[in-house]
Amino acid sequence: MAKFHLKLAHLYGDLLNTYSDIGNIIALQYYGKIMDAEIESRVISIDNQFDPDAFDMALFGGGQDYEQLVVSRDLPNKKAALTKFINEGKPLLAICGGYQLLGKYYIGANGEKIPGLGILNHYTLSQDNNRFIGDIAIKNEETGEEYHGFENHNGRTFLGDGERPLGKVVTGHGNNGEDGTEGAIYKATYCSYFHGPILTRNGEIAKHLLLIALHNKYPDADLSRQEALKIAPTF
Amino acid sequence: MSVRSSFAELAGRSSYWFLHHFFNGGSSLPGKLTLKLGPNILQAFSKRYDLVIVTGTNGKTLTTALSVRVLREKYDQVLTNPTGSNMEQGIVTTFITAPRPKKKGLAVLEVDEANVVKVTKYITPIAFVFTNIFRDQMDRYGEIYTTYAKILKGVKLAPHATIIANGDEQLFHSKDLPNPVIYYGFNHEYRPAFHAPANTDGLLCPKCQHILQYHMRTYAGLGDYFCPHCGFHRPELTYAVNKLGKMTPTQSSFEIDGHPFTIKIGGLYNIYNALAAYTLGRFLNVSPAQIKHAFEADEKVFGRQEVINVEDKAVTLILVKNPVGLNQVLDMIETDPKPFSFVFLLNAKYADGIDTSWIWDGNFEKLARSDIQQYMTGGERYKDITTRLTMAGIDNIWHEINLEKVLDKIKQLPSQHVYVLATYTAVLQFRKLLTENGYLKEGGKHNG
Repeated sequence: MAKFHLKLAHLYGDLLNTYSDIGNIIALQYYGKIMDAEIESRVISIDNQFDPDAFDMALFGGGQDYEQLVVSRDLPNKKAALTKFINEGKPLLAICGGYQLLGKYYIGANGEKIPGLGILNHYTLSQDNNRFIGDIAIKNEETGEEYHGFENHNGRTFLGDGERPLGKVVTGHGNNGEDGTEGAIYKATYCSYFHGPILTRNGEIAKHLLLIALHNKYPDADLSRQEALKIAPTF
Repeated sequence: MSVRSSFAELAGRSSYWFLHHFFNGGSSLPGKLTLKLGPNILQAFSKRYDLVIVTGTNGKTLTTALSVRVLREKYDQVLTNPTGSNMEQGIVTTFITAPRPKKKGLAVLEVDEANVVKVTKYITPIAFVFTNIFRDQMDRYGEIYTTYAKILKGVKLAPHATIIANGDEQLFHSKDLPNPVIYYGFNHEYRPAFHAPANTDGLLCPKCQHILQYHMRTYAGLGDYFCPHCGFHRPELTYAVNKLGKMTPTQSSFEIDGHPFTIKIGGLYNIYNALAAYTLGRFLNVSPAQIKHAFEADEKVFGRQEVINVEDKAVTLILVKNPVGLNQVLDMIETDPKPFSFVFLLNAKYADGIDTSWIWDGNFEKLARSDIQQYMTGGERYKDITTRLTMAGIDNIWHEINLEKVLDKIKQLPSQHVYVLATYTAVLQFRKLLTENGYLKEGGKHNG
């Protein structure tokens, strides 16, 4: 039996599943086990209520245009709950479509402006007949960590007030191919365009997310062993 | 037939004869030439043949081959296209190179999804057979809805043709069509309502956009689905697998409508192919006894998984290219009663898919629970697949980036029986290596 238990909300997991985001849950469970924490994952989809107090972490993935549009229509039902979850500093990992939907708006496949949640201040434009595709490496300047992944996106995202990038682009395109940023961090919400999936190649990010969740839920626990965990390279 | 079409056909036939005799090949060039000279050439063949079109993402080739066997029980001659010639040019070549039938013949053709309209523009088929629609690795960003829309573009031109569709695929029930439709599927079990795994494609109800649930699921999104929100559900099946018997990687036993069958191939997905051929056979008045004879008379129709002897090891090499296919292979090898070792060779060149994320949708957790003697990884991206297996709970994984070393280590594996799963370019590289080392003859054919 693990000493710690964390509940993870897999937001729209049955609709936003194009980028093998299930791998991020597998990675969280793997590192969680090493850190003596059991991660229980539950899909919260269009027919479910999202209770922010019932979960310690969340994952918000990316999907096909059609599914993403259906999700965008349901988001107003979960906006208040998600805003509370994010502003309380609970860890959320948002990839691709999930990243875009947390921002103010994105431009859909037919050029229409699709409103996002507006909890984070970025916005996403589209580009004509082009996608940013390929291996990408970035460096987080605060931690010095280097992250690896694969990007494949048409959207060009521009960060807004209160957000800092997940990293500076070393090789690849990043958020928009212009300003050298990739992803976003706001409180404990981590956003990225990385496939890989991101946590399977970058265990450090999994460790950060898990530690935040553990400190939130178990403020008095001794987590020095978890803090000291060395992540073996997987890439 | 117009003078222009006759001339085009003649030119095509001659070019085929020429290529066939002097260059030992040429399957699309005669078609290309014919189309250039007479773009309406296919129209000329609509008087000579009744046509059945087989389309869908997976299973086209075997469904077509099995259908031809089944229909030959009743029809003297059934024309079909060779594997891979499922685009317009290959189809034209098939027609122009066939001997002219004395009376109206039957043609069963495998047609690529986007090429259906190019055929139905000229020939109105009597029936369509739909297998399934999945996202493929190479166009995994192409949506399943777009693929089905492409097929329907061709169907619209043939509103009287009977559609023989996989009833377990919700997409085939998502649009109202004027065509008569016959559904086939699986009816071997019924469980209380449950959800498909989250990483399943196409779980939205086409009528009300809520999440579909299941009473039975075979694999991917296929099964006895229903929408708890609006009541949309799987259509009634005309022909169904009502019982599953013993399954191994080389043999499957099952019953369709109470008639027992055994086919010399493993994998649940191949039972779908047999069921589709059965349904087409029944539609064209072939009896269950004749169909049984067709399935059992000639095992070669199923192809064979290639087993290569490497010293004292028997190596089964299997191509994997997308999550649905990968999971089918994992399901199949799990039914092997003999002990075996498991090798996965992962490359990420263009033909393999340059994004290796898809391996995370493979249910390797399932392998971790079965009794496998040794695991090994290899190929350019061996680190990715090693991480995948590690996080599935598998430890003590041998790994080698270099395929020559992989081959050496295969000889040291603890079991006699070895499964090697490999992506496209890894299959090619590994086969080349096996050939160079004398384990495989030059030009040996792979039936992946």
